[in-house]
Amino acid sequence: MSAEPSALAREVRLEVSGIRKQFPGVVALDNVSLRLRAGEIHALLGENGAGKSTLIKILTGVYQPDEGEIRLDGAQVRFASPRSALAAGISVVHQERNLIPQFTVAENILLERLPTRGLQLVDHAAINRLAKPWIDMVSLEAAPTKPVSELSVAQMQLVEIAKALSLQARILLMDEPTAAITPHEVGYLFRILDDLRRRNVALVFVSHKLEEVFELCDRVTVLRDGRNASADLEVASVDQDRLVTYMIGRAEVISRLPPKPDPGEAVLEVKGLTTDPRDRGISLELRKGEVLGIYGLVGAGRSRLAKALVGEIKMTGGEVRIRGVKARIKGFREALERHRIGYVSEDRKQEGLILLHSVRSNTSITIWRRLRSFGQWIRRAAEDAAILPSLRQLDVRSHSLSQSVGTLSGGNQQKVSIAKWLAAKAEILIIDEPTVGIDIKTKAALHELIWDLAANGKSVLLISSDMPEVIRLSDRILVMRNHAIVGEMPNTHEYEEMSESIMAQLS
Amino acid sequence: MPRLRGVAPGLALGLLVIDLMGMLVLSVVTPSFLSTYNLFVTGRDLSILLLVALAQMVVLSLGQMNLSIGSIGGLVAIIESGLMVRYGWPVPIALVAGLLLGIVCGVINGVLVDWTKINSFVLTLATSYVFAGINLGITHATPFYHIPSEISSFGQARVGPFPLMAAVTVVLTVLLAGFLYQVVLGRQLLAVGGNQLAARLSGLPVRRAVVTAHAISGFLAAVAGTLLMAQLGQGQPTIGATWVLPSFAGPIIGGAALSGGSAPVIGTVLAMVLISLIDDGLVLVNADPFWVQFLIGALILGAVVLGRTRLGDIMTFLLGARRASRQELSR
Repeated sequence: MSAEPSALAREVRLEVSGIRKQFPGVVALDNVSLRLRAGEIHALLGENGAGKSTLIKILTGVYQPDEGEIRLDGAQVRFASPRSALAAGISVVHQERNLIPQFTVAENILLERLPTRGLQLVDHAAINRLAKPWIDMVSLEAAPTKPVSELSVAQMQLVEIAKALSLQARILLMDEPTAAITPHEVGYLFRILDDLRRRNVALVFVSHKLEEVFELCDRVTVLRDGRNASADLEVASVDQDRLVTYMIGRAEVISRLPPKPDPGEAVLEVKGLTTDPRDRGISLELRKGEVLGIYGLVGAGRSRLAKALVGEIKMTGGEVRIRGVKARIKGFREALERHRIGYVSEDRKQEGLILLHSVRSNTSITIWRRLRSFGQWIRRAAEDAAILPSLRQLDVRSHSLSQSVGTLSGGNQQKVSIAKWLAAKAEILIIDEPTVGIDIKTKAALHELIWDLAANGKSVLLISSDMPEVIRLSDRILVMRNHAIVGEMPNTHEYEEMSESIMAQLS
Repeated sequence: MPRLRGVAPGLALGLLVIDLMGMLVLSVVTPSFLSTYNLFVTGRDLSILLLVALAQMVVLSLGQMNLSIGSIGGLVAIIESGLMVRYGWPVPIALVAGLLLGIVCGVINGVLVDWTKINSFVLTLATSYVFAGINLGITHATPFYHIPSEISSFGQARVGPFPLMAAVTVVLTVLLAGFLYQVVLGRQLLAVGGNQLAARLSGLPVRRAVVTAHAISGFLAAVAGTLLMAQLGQGQPTIGATWVLPSFAGPIIGGAALSGGSAPVIGTVLAMVLISLIDDGLVLVNADPFWVQFLIGALILGAVVLGRTRLGDIMTFLLGARRASRQELSR
């Protein structure tokens, strides 16, 4: 393995083209291509829901593409399972650690093929001996016998890389490897990755952080809404603005939303709110009938803010006033019943809905207590009467109220998770990433619904990392970065102008 | 609609068909199946074991389990008979005290599960030893004989071939179904079982749901223990010792999801009928008593596998799932 990039190093190792992957109700990937060369680091960029993780899952055999082909060293391949992708030399280091905490570093590296002697007894000396070269290769300063649970996050990442290398990985996919480690550790990781590049490994680097792409990567592919916004560009040939444009898109040709009444009096005032030592105090004001957009990239602290406002995360400082009265919100129930605040979670499947249960149950869940008659009994007729207006207002499409929510499309699921708060007569809605994983058409419909809600006097705190969405929907936009509001601007709904001023706040 | 109840209509109908076929076969093969006495005895076992299965189903619907149902039933029977025999308490007061004790045991399970966050399997396994240990400590494994005759004659009472105690089970089953499907707390319980995080984020009282499910489980176990005491005519310390398998077999064959969120009352009833038929059939055909346990185990295993993998699909297919969904569309 020479240290110089040779002609060999430029050869295409993996080429995927025309990949399409559809899930019920959503086209996750459409005609996507990606070309990886040996000895290069290829950045894969895209906002949440752009399709990056679906693509990685296809490359590693977790999903099968509906259409398209994968060529490895020129020959067409099909990965029926993660095992067959591994056997072909493709490894992935996930965002979530895939290590067994109680096992040692060496055991984790050799997990699938622990050396044995006689009678299938595990040969501990051999494990440590065999794992050592890989530990050294990633310059991990930890004994092979150390339990993984005692390592730092960055060190665990190195163990995963060592494990991938020991599996003869020639293609290494890194899914947001810098999301949870310190800047110092990032520098260290980059030296390791650079070293692997010189060893002719093909690397895919998934990240939200553009500066890292410029620092580390050779080429870049950008996904947006499940398609290639750009493919296989040389990093040297683009600048940050171009990449941002690729990632978040030009203003799509979409209808302007109709005018709505001007926002009224303040219903929610936040002053100097902190939940975490990193917070620098967040202040904002939401008025009646207003859509207040909070824009920020992942990790900016947006969801923490939302959860603090509904009492899920404890406030450590600051003050919240609701309709002019100082409030101390202790939990969801109080947020809803006393303050009429509803929270539409960013993760509707884990936090928003009970997938096994019916549309009826998922919508009325917030109002069961209100519906009871004769003591505790809920009459079916009263239940349906209470939820139908909200479901109709949001145009939820289901066979019947008894259909289980898990069988609805993503867009309809999202409508149900909003409808339940409308049924509960919530006046203030905190909506976190309303259109992640939802296709463009349904997205436009959801936007109109949210707009209508505000026009009818609801107040909406819209949290999103989708810039076109924020610019289309908000009356005002707050820009959030590193747990602080770094800018506030009235929205002109002019995409070019607004996106530039938002980007200016972020850099 | 039955989706909410966590059971495909096909599964319940499949079980019903199998139950009816089983009854038909048994009545042809062994004429004594239809004898008044046999129906009475089988119905009495079913009345008790159905309560045991429902006691487990309530906790399963939460995504948890209760391994202490049998020892709660045993402890309650012992306390009730002890209070009546040893201390001469009036029957109604002793029974109320026993049922309250069952609820208290359930509440202890629920509070401990919620508070310690220890897996309910481990926790209720431990409390089952505690409850059974109190039982043993009090009785030294000797039954309380000569319980008041009102109780023991209730255990033998019948209307035609129907045991009188079946009325208790029917009423409790209907009440439980109504509670789970249409009462606020019951719905909350199912929601917590279906997705605890989503339930909490919708403002539901998670702890109350957990404790309620365990309390109901303890109550049903207590009723089952009381009925078995009435049937046996004495406070047997071994009451409940064999309930673990039927408690799980009923809900699981009946279509409950171990992950929670479903409470198939009808499925559980039909599954327990099936288990009673298997049990009764083996007695009627004079199966070697030393092999009965093996046969029951194997047949229940077969029923569980068949019920969970094939039955629902087959029956849904036979019924024409398309017709069903078209009907729903037109509603």
